[in-house]
Amino acid sequence: MIFRLSKALTNSFAICYVFFFVATAKVHAELKSETIVEANSAQWQQTLKASAGQSVYFYAWGGSKAVNEYLRWATREIAQQYQIKLIHVKVTDPSEPVSRLKAENGRTSAIDLMWVNGENFAYLKQQGFLLGNLWSAIPNAAFLAVDSLPITVDFGEPMDGFEVPWGIGQFNLIAENGVFQPPQVSAKSLLDIAKKKPRTVTYPRPPEFHGTTFLKQLLVNLTDADPRLYKSSTKQAQDELLPVLWQYLDQLHPYLWQQGKAFPSSAAEQLLLYQQKTLSMAVSFNPNQWQKEKSTQQISESSVRRYFADGAITNSHNLAIPKSAPSPDASKVVINFMLSEKAQQEKFSGVWGDPSVITSLLDEKATMPAHSELHSSWHVLIEDAWQQRYGG
Amino acid sequence: MLDIVNCQIVAKTWHITLPDIHVGKGQLQVITGPSGIGKSTLLHWLLGNMPEHVLINGQIFLSGSNITNVAIEQRRVGLLMQDVYLFPHLNVQDNICFALPKNRQLSSKKQRRLEALNMLEQINLGHLASRYPQNLSGGERSRVGLIRALANQPQVMLLDEPFAALDPSTREQMGGWAFQQLAKQDIPSVMVSHDVEDIPVSAKRLCLADYYRAIE
Amino acid sequence: MPTARIRRIALASGWLLVCLISLLPILGIVVGLWPPEQVRFADLAPFLAYQGLSVSVSMTLFSAIFSTLISLYIAFMVYSQYHLSRRLQSFEKYLAPLLSLPHLAIALGIVFLFSDGSLFFVDSGLPRKGLSTLIIAIVIKEVPFFLLIFSAIGRQLPIKYWLLQGNALGYQDYRCWWFLVFPALLKQSRLALLAATAYTLSVVDISLLVGPNIPELFAVSVYRWQTSFAVGDQAQAFWGNVLLLVLLAVSVLILYAHEKLAQAGCKTLATQGSRFHIGIINPAFKAWLPMLAVLTAMIVMVFTLWSFGVNWHGDRFSLAQLTTRLWQDEWLFFALPLQNSLFIGLLAGLLGVALALLALELQRQKGTYWPDYYWLLAIILPQLSMVLGWQVMHIWTQGGYHSGWIILSHLPFTFAYAYLVLKGPFQSVEPRYELLAASFGYSSWQSWWQVRFRLLLPAIFTAFAIAFSVSIAQYIPTLMLGAGRVTTITTEAVAIGSGSQQDLIALYVLLQSVLPFMAFFLAALLARRFRGSMDGNNMGGHDVRHC
Repeated sequence: MIFRLSKALTNSFAICYVFFFVATAKVHAELKSETIVEANSAQWQQTLKASAGQSVYFYAWGGSKAVNEYLRWATREIAQQYQIKLIHVKVTDPSEPVSRLKAENGRTSAIDLMWVNGENFAYLKQQGFLLGNLWSAIPNAAFLAVDSLPITVDFGEPMDGFEVPWGIGQFNLIAENGVFQPPQVSAKSLLDIAKKKPRTVTYPRPPEFHGTTFLKQLLVNLTDADPRLYKSSTKQAQDELLPVLWQYLDQLHPYLWQQGKAFPSSAAEQLLLYQQKTLSMAVSFNPNQWQKEKSTQQISESSVRRYFADGAITNSHNLAIPKSAPSPDASKVVINFMLSEKAQQEKFSGVWGDPSVITSLLDEKATMPAHSELHSSWHVLIEDAWQQRYGG
Repeated sequence: MLDIVNCQIVAKTWHITLPDIHVGKGQLQVITGPSGIGKSTLLHWLLGNMPEHVLINGQIFLSGSNITNVAIEQRRVGLLMQDVYLFPHLNVQDNICFALPKNRQLSSKKQRRLEALNMLEQINLGHLASRYPQNLSGGERSRVGLIRALANQPQVMLLDEPFAALDPSTREQMGGWAFQQLAKQDIPSVMVSHDVEDIPVSAKRLCLADYYRAIE
Repeated sequence: MPTARIRRIALASGWLLVCLISLLPILGIVVGLWPPEQVRFADLAPFLAYQGLSVSVSMTLFSAIFSTLISLYIAFMVYSQYHLSRRLQSFEKYLAPLLSLPHLAIALGIVFLFSDGSLFFVDSGLPRKGLSTLIIAIVIKEVPFFLLIFSAIGRQLPIKYWLLQGNALGYQDYRCWWFLVFPALLKQSRLALLAATAYTLSVVDISLLVGPNIPELFAVSVYRWQTSFAVGDQAQAFWGNVLLLVLLAVSVLILYAHEKLAQAGCKTLATQGSRFHIGIINPAFKAWLPMLAVLTAMIVMVFTLWSFGVNWHGDRFSLAQLTTRLWQDEWLFFALPLQNSLFIGLLAGLLGVALALLALELQRQKGTYWPDYYWLLAIILPQLSMVLGWQVMHIWTQGGYHSGWIILSHLPFTFAYAYLVLKGPFQSVEPRYELLAASFGYSSWQSWWQVRFRLLLPAIFTAFAIAFSVSIAQYIPTLMLGAGRVTTITTEAVAIGSGSQQDLIALYVLLQSVLPFMAFFLAALLARRFRGSMDGNNMGGHDVRHC
């Protein structure tokens, strides 16, 4: 009885929020004490005046038509409101701006604003390439939903004001309704589906981010969210927890697409295969991608969204300004705009569908039950071990 | 007229010391000898194309002036080789145009082409004007080659076994006709030949083998 | 004398210019691969212990060498058919579409058409991701490239004469072809072989799409390490690049050994008067070009339909779905990149060809030719590291970001490809033509332009078309030196290609092909019009007339 109750609780939002609150309590407390500049203060007006007429080179992934369209809309709005020219530099790989900053090594950068998260952020922060105190310098940062969302820590590394959350990512599967009937997925149900419909299930090859996250979801499900996963990994924890995953994968791989001898190289490639009806599932970090793709007839009408029973692993994707950016003021104005209600609303309800990060637009119905990220040491561990066991 | 003085061909193991040669206007000097001895090399030296494997000493005088160290472009010496080397990217008329000297009478392209056509018609080859070298027969090619060389108004004509590639009857015809043209224009000529039958009776002969000496 | 002095200065500055351009790749690699502080020899051990390294490396080496040699032999067979059957001269026009589709498009196309779940419901057994698929995709693109090289070389060789000679000695056409023509073509295609192998060894985008991933091809692994900033990955990337250089050296040796073996083999067979039946399968290759043409047409059609919104796998498939909406929407966004590509391509192509001619002429005057691989360093060395080095040097100069730098960064590549195409024909130009021109009174400068340049024109057109297309297809140099200020159609297309929007990808792929297609087509037409030493010297066919 208690078991059932606690299970039910695990599936509810409340426990999740408690998790986040505990995990981010320390940072949360610090944040409350910081003063964020007011929109009508002299300091901000000064920033606005200084930035009129400047250009902002925004390095962001260019592979998604939806994101490109959104940024075109944003460019128009920003030009009209602030006389700032926002230029979307379409990068293919999120590490491109990082290499550039490394090569520039402190000289005036070509980058004004960049879209970043995860280990790239950790590297840049450590190397001191980022401009700090963003949260206190941007008025709309006051409306960030730090109480409800895990947006002060990026993948184990505290943001500390070096980057600003822009949107939320929640790991989900886009799948065929006929094949994936129950709304939630577990490791066991996945294996059953793979056996019933062989060669239609797969995941992107790690160390691609989606692939590793898929493995993390499986690990969480197989070990019933063992608390050691949220702390730095120890040898003992590794030896006890990881083999569970490997045993499972050993069972699963023969039923995968290409019998586990080849994997899609990226989530985008898997989505292409899904569109071509070769696969019965695809993976995504955008909780609303399935809806948007359906509405533009990119994927079949019978596609649905599924998530793992323990909750979808949630993280944020963020904006950062290099320390040596040529137009930091203009970049701050752009970030301010991106955090505004209008921009966040358009981002969510427009072609992109990326969930909002500000309190006023927080929509519980739009997001799935969330699960926090594992500790970053497990991420690297899973990647290396997978490569050892299956990658060669 | 052409004078070759103190000419010596020097190689590692042998040398050839030639007597002084004088070729007057309209005259023909034939150089014979076994193959490989250096007949063509000598001819190319006369042209100004320095040989690579042997050393040739000597002085060349053309109408009195010493042209031994003058560049090929300025010598006004013509060359006709066994493979005629008509430019493949130009038709017959343009080939001849190419060779016409640059002076005030022949300054415009139209004038040059007209002159070239005239020259062709004088020898009854006007119908070949717009043909390309690949579409000519061996004999036609040789004739055009000679006309092209003559079009340049050279002061000396060098012929390097020019008829060797032709069949016997054509060769005879060509030979006769060629020497006729050269004599008509009073051009001194030096010819290298294998075949004794090619040589007209009036020509002077020089056999390189006669002057060959091995170095001990 | 003043003219001699001018000549000396001109020669010296020519050498300076050529040396600068050819040294850029070396500078780039040295700066780009300069070991970061964290790299130690101790990192070598974990690098070598990387799971699947040996399989990955051997697969990569095998795919590079095998696909190159297969393409060479197929191209040679196809070339022989067209040469032997009198329909030769015009096939270059048909190469244009085959050469202008980007490699990635061909890979995408063939897996869509022939892989599992394909349109034709024919599971031809072509794995969606595998070594064989990769090799096929590469061969399809390499064969037309080799054909183009062969036709540029063959124009300067008296092939008809050799065949005639062989026939007279009692050998059938196809045997003559193998014993007499093949060795000569092989020798002059050395550079092209090297370029093709270097490309396949380091190609990343096709490997990601259709290559095997358990284990991955080595270049993909190096790319992953180089673009990851997790702890230890940069050190792996450094050692990976070192190994890549070693692999390149090994492939050079293998190609060299192959050339020697093939030459020796042909010589032995020829001198033995062997009558063995090597060419029996030749007629099968008559169909090769038409087949490729059909394949290309199908791929182009598929992409065109995709870009018009047709989705075979959609729920409601009908041709009524055809709409030009995507083209209209995107027109505003690809017009400028397309213009940039054209401008940069024209300049980089012209300069590349000019510098290649300069390099060849300077070497000819000197009398000795430098080793081939020195001139081709830009296409042999790993591109990512080399361009990273250029990026760093560019940042030091703080020179701003404009097209001039992009053109400069494309120049080593256009130069290398132009040199590759022009070297054979350049060396085969009969020097007696220039001698004759000199005897007619033309100065060396004049005779160079009016005779040598003129005779090389068809090869020059081909070289320009290739150099232009190479510039259009450059992604990494444009990205790294343009820093987003200068966008070309390729930077846009690659970014779009990393997404999953089928119709948009198709649109940009087609756009990428438009400019190279026009270049190749135009070059083929012009090459026809301006004859070179087409049938060799004085070889006037089989008709001999008496006058």
